[in-house]
Amino acid sequence: MSAIGLETFLARLYTDSALRSSFLADPRAASAQFDLTAAEIEGLAAMDRDGVVLAVRSITVKRESYLRPRARSWWPWRRLIS
Amino acid sequence: MAGADAAEDAVAATDRVGIGWRPAIAAGLYLHLEAFDVIEVIADNYLRATRREIDAIKMLARQRPMNLHGVGLGLASSIAVDRKRLDRVARLVGLIEPEAWSEHLAFVRAGGIEIGHLSAPPRTDATTAGAIANIECATRIVGTAPQMENIATLLEPPASIMDEATWITRIVEASHVPMLLDLHNLYANACNRGEDPRALLAAMPLDRVTGVDLSGGKWIDAPSGGRRLLDDHLHGPPDEVFELLTELARSVPQSLSVIIERDGNFPTIEVLLGEIAQARRALAKGRSLRAANFMPSIAHAA
Repeated sequence: MSAIGLETFLARLYTDSALRSSFLADPRAASAQFDLTAAEIEGLAAMDRDGVVLAVRSITVKRESYLRPRARSWWPWRRLIS
Repeated sequence: MAGADAAEDAVAATDRVGIGWRPAIAAGLYLHLEAFDVIEVIADNYLRATRREIDAIKMLARQRPMNLHGVGLGLASSIAVDRKRLDRVARLVGLIEPEAWSEHLAFVRAGGIEIGHLSAPPRTDATTAGAIANIECATRIVGTAPQMENIATLLEPPASIMDEATWITRIVEASHVPMLLDLHNLYANACNRGEDPRALLAAMPLDRVTGVDLSGGKWIDAPSGGRRLLDDHLHGPPDEVFELLTELARSVPQSLSVIIERDGNFPTIEVLLGEIAQARRALAKGRSLRAANFMPSIAHAA
């Protein structure tokens, strides 16, 4: 269908461990359940599996940091300014 | 005359070197502010900031040229940019009045899913057109064009029909925006694809580069064997990245603003100042090589 569908699939692949497991086992079958063109499914099937695994590890680390509340550590240098 | 003009450009370039402002090391950086020509501040850390936090960053922006660096808009996407997020960035830029603002050639959400990380979209006509439309929208709403930065990726985006340099060039040229070239991202992508980093540098739209980011990473083992270079921003830039900076300074006439970026595992301030000095030396070497290349032309013309 569309590039939007492919980006949505990738976002889900990076964040949904169940989808990722089924994708790594059988990429064509896993991606055929989504609104994707045949060319997009072939593109997904040709993806570098190591790249998927490593990218997801990196994303997971960033994601945990992204979801963690930020410490308000600006104060010390703000006192230096004022 | 062309040779003389180019030589003048080489000498006239006023390069700047600075650092990524991070809360964890802000006090130390502020005590050495004179060492930095320019500062990069992560915009997303201040989108919900208090008035006092905004005032502090605004005061910093009065003391050093600042680039407000966004990570959350996801402009390189076939999906339209989230207007609420864009409005918040525009408001922040209006409050802080930085010298420049920037974003990444990445997508960060789709279908209501927040990835939480900069991700490489498929390099297609659809994402090219989407990125151009989103950048034009961002330029209109914020009031100035963003510098657009290349990202690192451990995964070649699927269903792509063009290479990284072609995709980036099409977007920044059609959008008429400056480019923030992250040399470690470039280096990591080239290494992970088995390409020559210098060839990838040469293929980039170098005439549009006004900013440069330098960071570092580490080699990690791939499940099936071999290694990949992870851009983690937890290590200093490797020598190869400084060599690419020299090559860039040799190749372009325009002034460059270089930022050393690190997001954690912070070393001492002395180490960071050493990296600043190394960047200055790399730039100076590139400018010297550039000037030397044109000197014979001047002598011949005279």
